[in-house]
Parts: sequence; structure tokens; C-alpha cells
Amino acid sequence: MFYRLSGVHHTRYEDTRRLWPIPTDRRLVAVLFLLALSAPLWLSELYLQNYLLPWLIWSAATLSLTLLMGVAGQLHFGYAAVMAIGAYSAIHLVRLGVPFELAFIGAGLVAAVIGCLFGAAALRVKGLYLVMATLAMQYLVDWVIVNVPAISGGAHATLQAPEARVLFFSFADGFTRYYFAFFWAVFMTVFLLNTKRTSFGRALVAIRDKDYAASVIGVSPFKYKLLAFFTSSFFGGMSGAVLAFCFYRAVTPEQFGFNVSTQLVAMVLVGGLGSVIGAYLGAAFVLLTPMILSNGIAALSDAGWLSVSANLLAHLPLMIYGALIIGFLLAEPLGLAKIYDNMRNYFLVWPFKHSRR
Amino acid sequence: MKTMFKKGMLGALFATAAFAAAPALQAQETVKFGLFHDFTKVYTFVADEFSQGQRDYLTLINEEGGIKGQKFEAIVRDHGNEPQRGLELYNRAREEGAIYFMFLSTPVANAVVPRALQDKVVLGTPLHGRGDTMVGETFPYVFPMMASYWSQAARLLKYVEDTQGGLKGKKIAHVHIDTPFGREPLPILEKLAQQKSFELRSFAYPSPGNEQSAVWSDVRRYRPDFVLIWGAGNSQMVSVREAVRNGIDPAKILSVVWLTETDMKNIGESTAIGAKRVEVVQPGRDHPIIQRILDKVYKAGKGAGPEARVGNTYYNYGVADMVIATEGAKLALEKLGPPLTGEKLKAGMEMIRNLDTKGFMPPVTITPQDHQGGGQARVSQWDGKAWVPVSDWAAAYQDVVWEEARASAAKFSQGK
Repeated sequence: MFYRLSGVHHTRYEDTRRLWPIPTDRRLVAVLFLLALSAPLWLSELYLQNYLLPWLIWSAATLSLTLLMGVAGQLHFGYAAVMAIGAYSAIHLVRLGVPFELAFIGAGLVAAVIGCLFGAAALRVKGLYLVMATLAMQYLVDWVIVNVPAISGGAHATLQAPEARVLFFSFADGFTRYYFAFFWAVFMTVFLLNTKRTSFGRALVAIRDKDYAASVIGVSPFKYKLLAFFTSSFFGGMSGAVLAFCFYRAVTPEQFGFNVSTQLVAMVLVGGLGSVIGAYLGAAFVLLTPMILSNGIAALSDAGWLSVSANLLAHLPLMIYGALIIGFLLAEPLGLAKIYDNMRNYFLVWPFKHSRR
Repeated sequence: MKTMFKKGMLGALFATAAFAAAPALQAQETVKFGLFHDFTKVYTFVADEFSQGQRDYLTLINEEGGIKGQKFEAIVRDHGNEPQRGLELYNRAREEGAIYFMFLSTPVANAVVPRALQDKVVLGTPLHGRGDTMVGETFPYVFPMMASYWSQAARLLKYVEDTQGGLKGKKIAHVHIDTPFGREPLPILEKLAQQKSFELRSFAYPSPGNEQSAVWSDVRRYRPDFVLIWGAGNSQMVSVREAVRNGIDPAKILSVVWLTETDMKNIGESTAIGAKRVEVVQPGRDHPIIQRILDKVYKAGKGAGPEARVGNTYYNYGVADMVIATEGAKLALEKLGPPLTGEKLKAGMEMIRNLDTKGFMPPVTITPQDHQGGGQARVSQWDGKAWVPVSDWAAAYQDVVWEEARASAAKFSQGK
């Protein structure tokens, strides 16, 4: 009923093949798009810059990781390192006087080339062994950044994002930062939605399901595994640059440590492997839940409704957060995206549950 | 239906949380300090005690009637060492009217530095953050307040020079955790090695430093005259233990500030008698400030944590941080009058001249140029029960430290 199908007649092939064939889905997407586009008008500075902005950036990063992990089935536990390469490359390129637009693409290229080098391990190993290879990437990149002062920015290992402009808009302005991150997230969303429908996307899915079988039907695992790593690292590096310029504005190696890699993997898994909406939900869950929980519990304590020791107070949000992860994954192992999908499927035929979908 | 119900429950929970978390905009009756810590991830070894010291000292000030009638309020939250959470706390507290911030986490503080400079609120970075923020002209709103890691390393070398009749020809090993923090003193050490012609070799062990045996057998083969250990938390205990196991005389161990009585007790009280550390605040309860806290805060049952922690090294660091910040607030209120703002607090901090704490910490002088407060520190030695000072408060080789800090600060300005 809510996702009404009756009266929707596709008379052309293009109509059935469009991104959202059901009108309700289209309307939902349009509403969300307009809400996000007008966010600076109705959302306070605090929520815009500290919730929505990082959420969009991390969602974009999760989307590029889900291309690799969800679509192509190649595990990557060093994705924060890929983003670090992008962030550091972009900053150094801008410092060298390269315009931001070029530096942005350059960041993607550097990340893609280095990401590909480590991705080459995927040609020989799979599963847990690939996890080890990508972990090695994480630690090697961390080590190089920390140990080469020219990269890390001297003894304090902190590098300020220089003043930069994108298409005449300066990053010193909060609106520029928000809209740049917003359009980057929109671009990644459209890219991933469409990639899944191309021959490239289908080749990646074939590799994910069985690379041996894929090669039998003429999909070269060599080519497509490397392409998957290249594309994913390219966009991951660019997302890292967005993170550095739009959100952190100063990069340190700790911002791209192993724990960040695990968070990214958690975003992909909790959201739902290979799903676009899952990337958004997963990023929201991993990034925002701890903040909301910790603020909520602190507020409860300040109001005097919760009297526990300061130490327990700090750990309580973590406990609830952990319980939530377990709870969600027990309720639906396929992630938050699947929970949304279940709801959508339910409403698709509601109230005629007995009918065929 | 089951999933739906769960979803509804969670939605309700989130909605409540979000509402409760909305910042209550109220009139500014108290001076608000945002004292954020990493209670849950990396800096847990120091956060609890440090935070307790900070809160207790503010309670003490309030119990004694505040400063010029102004009371202080601490906003204490956990940021889990994550910059994005720290930034969220920073902005939220700023909306609530906080004018002094402290995060006790280098990645978070570094992310806040450019924002604090822009928003004109005071960011205290004692014993964390970037060391070049001592250059007041470049970082007008950032105050390291205590001897930076560079000054600490310099102080330790100065101690060796004073007690050994010079540094010439000495072999110094710098054993450090392989993070920016561990590598931070290297430029100063290298420069001093050239100037004073001693031999320096650095040994890095991988973070988090629970396993260091390979490094220490190298250190033993190097046969150093002195060993600097530069880590934090558990890695320091492992370092001391490995040094003793490798036959290095504990008296040759010189540690960064992060080594406490608790660490020494965990290692074994008598295992490393003679080990030395640099300190910037006097530990223990034998001091009027701590006695006042025990008397007026803990007797009234208003302590922020277990009384047993009062007087621990990190507890006293927390107190010291607040002693300096409230002194700045006092000067600002006296000279510039209420209401206190970030700009006034900054001006007040820069008016601190020879702050006399009767030996609780070295005399602190903060000027618009020098935000480090003089960079004085002293060396103390573990006698099996407590840390006993073996040197006076003094600043060491500040010319070298400042040269390095200015060069680094200049790079920061260029990047803007």
C-alpha cells in the first residue's frame, strides 16, 4: 500500500530499468535529497557540522569499501590506511600549489596505485589470508607516515589542511565543507547504484561468488580483482581527502589507525554487505550511536536520574552500544539494510500479507 | 512484527536520548570548563585520576566561595580518543558556554587547535597535544602550561650533565614507543647530541608496547650509560621490567612523566629502586592544596572519586592543571571584570607571573610569547616507597627547545 505498485505500468524498457522503478521509492529519495540539501537551513550548526557532515563523509567511505567487500567480495582490513594515503596526498599536493580539484583526483590516484599494490595479494590469497595482507598494509602505511617526517609533518606529526578553494568556494566556510561532502556522498551513491548494474559490477559479483567459475565464463579474475581494488582505493583515497579538508582540517596518523579500519568494516557489516542504504545506516550506527548514547546518558546523570560512578558512566554507553550491535545482528544477520528491506517488503503488500509480492 | 517492535523501541530510545542531549541554553551563572577525557580507550591509565583531580579542585574553589563570587562548573565527558567525538563535545560545550577546554588526548587536541584559534576559546594542552603550541604568537589560545616533552627530555639530559660532570662521550639510548609521541623528543635529543657531543641511539618498539624483549636485548648490547624510556601506560611498566631483566641498572633509567607509584608497585616495589623520572608536579598528599581538598571536599563527601587516589601523581597533575587555569580566571576577573569570556581568560592566563604554589609545581610564568609557563621540571627517584626529588625545579636548554618550537610553529603558520 505504501510502496504502491498498482497502476504503475512500465511501457518502455527504460522505465523498468531505472534506478527506482517504484514511485514511492523515488519520492522517498527525493525527500531525503531535499532534506539534506536544505539541512543548513533547518539544522543547527552543532548537528550539521558534527553529526550530518561526518556521517555523509563516512557513508561515502563506506560506499567505496562496500564496493570492494560487498560487491567484489574482497575483504579489506586496512581501509583507513587507504584513506590516510588520500588525505596526506591531497594535503601535500595542495601545499605544493596544485589546485584542489586536481589534488583531489591526485589523492585518489596515489591511493589507488598503492591500494592496488597490496590488492595484488588478492590474486593469490582469499578470505582470512587476504585480511592478513590488508592488515599488513594498514601497519606499513602507519609506519611510513609516522617515520617519515616529510609526510607526517614534523615532530608533532600533525599536518594542517591548507587553505584551499573548490570551484571558487573556500573550505574556510562551513557551507562549502558541508555541500562538498554532501555532493561527494551523492556522487558515490549514484556511482555505486549504477556500478552494480554494469558489466563491471556483474563481473565483480561473479568473482565474489566463485572466482574459478567466473574465469570459466570468461571473466578474468586477475583483471577484475585488481580493478576492484583500484576503483575502491581510488574513491577511498578521495573520501580520505574529503575527510581531511571538510571535517578534521588537520590530520594525524591516529586518525587513520587500525581501530578506524575496524570501524569501517563494522560500518559495512552492520549496515549490510553490498547495500547502498546499508552503508548509510551502518555509518550512522557506528559513528553516531556512541555520541548520542554518551550524551544521553550524561544528560540523564546530570539531571540526577542516574547516579553511578564517573567511570561506569563513561563505560555505560559502550555496554549499551555493544549490546545494540549484538542485538541487531541477532535480529537480522544481514544487517540494518535488511531490516529496512523487511519493513519495505511488509509495507509493499500491507494490509494483504497473504498476497504474492 | 517482532522486528518492527524492536525498531520502535530503539527509535523511542534514540529519540529520548537525542532530546535529553539537546544543549540546555541557559544564562551563564557559572564559568564552564569542558574537561573531556578518554575514559574508555587509550588514555585510561591517566584519565580517571587526572579528571578526579580537576573536578575536586574546582569543587574546592566553589566550596571556598568561588573566585570573585564566580563558581566553576566542569563538563566531564568521554571522547574515547576519537577526534570526531571530541569535536562534537567541543562544539556542544561551546554552545553551552564553556570557555576552557582540555581533552588529554593528542589526536583530539590537535583536531581542536585550529577551531579553538578561530573561536577564541582557551584550549589547555598540559602533557599532550603538539609541543610547538608553546609559541604564543602562533597559538594565542592554546596553553601547554607545563613543561613540554621537549623540555622534559632536555631536563633529563641536563640532570645527567649536572650529576655526571658533563655529557661528553656518554652513550644515551632513547627507547620509545613507535608513535608520534615516542618520536617527539628526537629532534631535541639529536640537536643536543651534536652540541654536547654525546652518542645517541634510538630504539623503537611497536605500539602498544606490551612486547619489547627484542628491543631490549639490542639496548643491552649497546651498553648505554643512560636509558630514556618514552612510553605511556602499560608500555612503561614493560620497559622498566625489561630493562631490569637485561641487567640495566635501574638508576640509569630516565623516564618521561608517565611513570607513577602505581606502575612501580605493579612492577614490584623493590624491582627497580633507583629509577628516575621527570616530574612537573609534586606527587603525594604532603601539601597545603591537597590537604585543603581532603579537608573541604572529601570530609564533606563531595569528592569526585575514591579518596585513596588523592595525592597520586596523575591526580595531582589534574589539580595542577586547574590551579593554573583558575589562576588565569582569577587574574582575568580582577583586571578585566566579569563576565568571563574566552578572550578574557586568555588574557588572564598570559598575566600569570611566578605563580607561587609553595612547591606544588615550579613557579609558572605565562606570557603572550611563552605559553609553556617557563618549562621547569625536576627529576625524582623511586626509593621503593615513593618518588623522592633528586634535583631542583629548573628549565633546561630552553634555547634549543624554543628554536625547534619556533621552526615547527612557522610551518604551522605556512600551512594556514
